[in-house]
Amino acid sequence: MSVSADWSWQRVALAGMRDALMLPAWIVGFGLIGIGSLARDVGYPVDVAVLSTILVWAGPSQVLFFASIAAGAAWSAILIAIAFASLRFLPMTMAILPLLRRPGQSVWQQLILAHYVAVTAWSEGLRRLPGIAPHQRVAYFLGFANTCMAVSSIGTFAGYYLLGTLPVPFAAGLLCLTPMFFLISLMGGLRHRGDAAALILGLVFAPISARFIGGGFDLIVAGLIAGSVAFLIGRKRKPA
Amino acid sequence: MTQPIAMLDGPLWPYLALMLFAVLPTEIWRWLAVGFARRLSTDSPLLEWVRAVATALLAGIVAKLIVSPPGVLATAPALVRVAALAAAAGIMFVDKRRMMLAVLAGETVLIGGVWLFAG
Repeated sequence: MSVSADWSWQRVALAGMRDALMLPAWIVGFGLIGIGSLARDVGYPVDVAVLSTILVWAGPSQVLFFASIAAGAAWSAILIAIAFASLRFLPMTMAILPLLRRPGQSVWQQLILAHYVAVTAWSEGLRRLPGIAPHQRVAYFLGFANTCMAVSSIGTFAGYYLLGTLPVPFAAGLLCLTPMFFLISLMGGLRHRGDAAALILGLVFAPISARFIGGGFDLIVAGLIAGSVAFLIGRKRKPA
Repeated sequence: MTQPIAMLDGPLWPYLALMLFAVLPTEIWRWLAVGFARRLSTDSPLLEWVRAVATALLAGIVAKLIVSPPGVLATAPALVRVAALAAAAGIMFVDKRRMMLAVLAGETVLIGGVWLFAG
């Protein structure tokens, strides 16, 4: 849905909420249902599961946290694994903040905006924000991201009590929503050959890297190699 | 099971563990990015590179979730998992705006596949 430059911030935020409810919020919400059931499996209270969705706001980190506790991993290993899995937020946040930055914005406001950076809000934000007037982007982004977070909190809560009761094909279908929507969001945001190269090389390199590099470093290595090659492919396209 | 750290044990331990071992190592990168991003403009080549790496990392997570799936998703045969993603990707390839249709197609292949081959 397009946003007109003369709308009030409330109307822009509502447009963001509506765009989130059109699909993305439901996908993230369904995608995080699994977190609830993982938290229940390790005997943590339901509010820790829901808090993890609001405060961590990163599906892979949450999966790692609860699944590692279940596996009996050392706390230091959990900390390191999650730190590596979350390293992607450094480039992701750096890529989206310039779109949201306004003159006079405080560091605190930027830290709050940065907290919402996760796969969906990031890929959807990169896709939609450039078409919105700069002074309206923060309202739109917060409307969009908070709606995703609210729906996901409900999903996590529901999963804590529900997932174990579903028939296997449907439970598998819910868990598969997460990678499926990551892929769809990425494809929706492709702008040029460099982006497409990053997507394809990332898909191909990650499983190869997982086979040869251990200790939780494999994803970072695959991302750096695939991303750098894709960057060079994208640069070549432009006339000098 | 992973033991609480003795001096911090108690009913509040799950909350403390969440803050120390999940929130902190995730959030730290978002905070650091705020510090770095203030010095970059939107169209700098460095940011273009950073975006390419982030895209590749995300694609990598997709591949890993499909190759070594969590929990009950592992009951779907590998071919069904790949076919489900390919169905969704195929629709996105034809028309980028058909996100809902892409999700429905992928889910139909996956749920149907599990039903037929693993149910």
